[in-house]
Amino acid sequence: MNAMNSWTAKLSYFGRTAYHGLRASPVTSTVAVAIIGISLVLVGAFVLLIANMEELLDRFGQDLRVTAYLEAGLSEDRRRELIGIFETVEGVESVRIVSEAEALERFQAGVGRGEALLEGLDENPLPASLEITLVPANRSASGMERVVESLNGLPGIEELASGRDWVEGYLRFVALVRGLGIGLGAILALATLLIVANTIRLGVFARRDELEILSLVGASRLFVNTPFLLEGLLQGAAGGLFALLLLYALFRLVLPGFEFGLEFVMGGISPRFFGGSEALALVFSGAALGLLGSGAALAGDLRR
Amino acid sequence: MRTPRPSSLAWPWKRSRATAVGSGGEGAIRLFHVSKSYSAGSFALRDVSLEVGRGEFVFLTGPSGAGKTTLMKLIFAAEHPSEGQIVVLGRNIARLGEAAVPQLRRRIGVVFQDFKLLPRRTVEENVGLALDVVGTPRRKARAKVFSILKQLGLHHRRYHHPLSLSGGEQQRVAIARALVNEPEILLADEPTGNLDPELTVEIMDLIASAATRGTTVLVATHELDLVARYGKRSVRLKSGRIVEDSPRGGPVR
Repeated sequence: MNAMNSWTAKLSYFGRTAYHGLRASPVTSTVAVAIIGISLVLVGAFVLLIANMEELLDRFGQDLRVTAYLEAGLSEDRRRELIGIFETVEGVESVRIVSEAEALERFQAGVGRGEALLEGLDENPLPASLEITLVPANRSASGMERVVESLNGLPGIEELASGRDWVEGYLRFVALVRGLGIGLGAILALATLLIVANTIRLGVFARRDELEILSLVGASRLFVNTPFLLEGLLQGAAGGLFALLLLYALFRLVLPGFEFGLEFVMGGISPRFFGGSEALALVFSGAALGLLGSGAALAGDLRR
Repeated sequence: MRTPRPSSLAWPWKRSRATAVGSGGEGAIRLFHVSKSYSAGSFALRDVSLEVGRGEFVFLTGPSGAGKTTLMKLIFAAEHPSEGQIVVLGRNIARLGEAAVPQLRRRIGVVFQDFKLLPRRTVEENVGLALDVVGTPRRKARAKVFSILKQLGLHHRRYHHPLSLSGGEQQRVAIARALVNEPEILLADEPTGNLDPELTVEIMDLIASAATRGTTVLVATHELDLVARYGKRSVRLKSGRIVEDSPRGGPVR
């Protein structure tokens, strides 16, 4: 009971001292919070972008299929035979035939008012095709590659087409954005750590008399350091919260202004914001940055 | 000026220790051939051997630069000796780990010439600092702070800030902080150096009263009148060496 009372008393002291510390230097504290906040806004924006792009890839993956264009004049029997062969290939979910007439109808529906393009054509130039839908596990560049390889060279097939190139390109783009995000995040985290460490160091310097007196009356190193660690933690958490609010404001107010660009990148899928646990993770990242920064500041030799 | 100490505030452990080892029976502070040098060839202290018994009151005298402050710093482990051994309250200073230094300092009260008070904290908070570090529950800490401030006649000033107090009052706050934890040793380094002669006596009386309760007291001063007034043992330092150790005198006053 006594030990618990003693810890309660110490915690109360740490809280009071951290509060005094933050109040004693409002400008430096605010600057530290703002810097942590801005760094996390940039990192958070990248995380959001990557998360949305991955979601887009996921959604497009549902529509990815392999198309086998058939040679002109292929008999009905051969067509049915090919469907039978395709359906036995591993990774294929279903096969559907698109006749020459249906292909033309789709083309006409697709070009819409550009019907003039088709005038003057005496006969349907479009080939029949087999649309092969893959099982979900195979809806990726490598999955498509495997299916295409096993179908390649079958007699009666003119050409095999897939969205493989597009998927690969998009994946490379996502990887690039992620790489940039990680690089930028690492640089920003390091810069933020240094700034927080420096802010706390200034606080330590400003309160060196207090530290000397604490040391004289028998304060342990942990007792002297804890209020500073708490200050860093609080500044970091406040920075994280600030970043979250700013990102949300940008997401709600600024993003709709870029509708066209958004349509281009996201292909009509409406972008999503952080969920509850992700938002919490952002605030925790801020707190961790603040804690690490103050830890780095205190790692040097404090006045004993 | 001095408020008499109520008997209920006597420090119980002091009495039990007095029964166990007897006042002055075992050295509270023992130095064996201690030297301290800050740079090669120049010594702040040279081959100093000294024993101060428990509950003893000793003046440390000598001109500025004689090594009085260095000796004090060695005793509360703010410095390490270059040579020799120092045993304080049974602990060898040279062998103290980092974690043990605060433990030892909690048993020693220190008073300085420049008071070393925190200007932004109230008198109550300044004195309470010594209790904060040992995790004394807040209510108990406030009661102890009030009690010691009352003994020193400062309880009505407990919510003031140090800079609004006179020099004598500030030094009394510093003494209150040094004594609130009921230390076994009280070190005072030129405690009256910044004070008027009337205040000097008042402050010295307070420090001397700690010795009557069983605390070992070591006061560094260059004021020889003061030493004569109290008639206590005095150890004179000159150029880092003990040049005189005059025997203990009569009662505190």
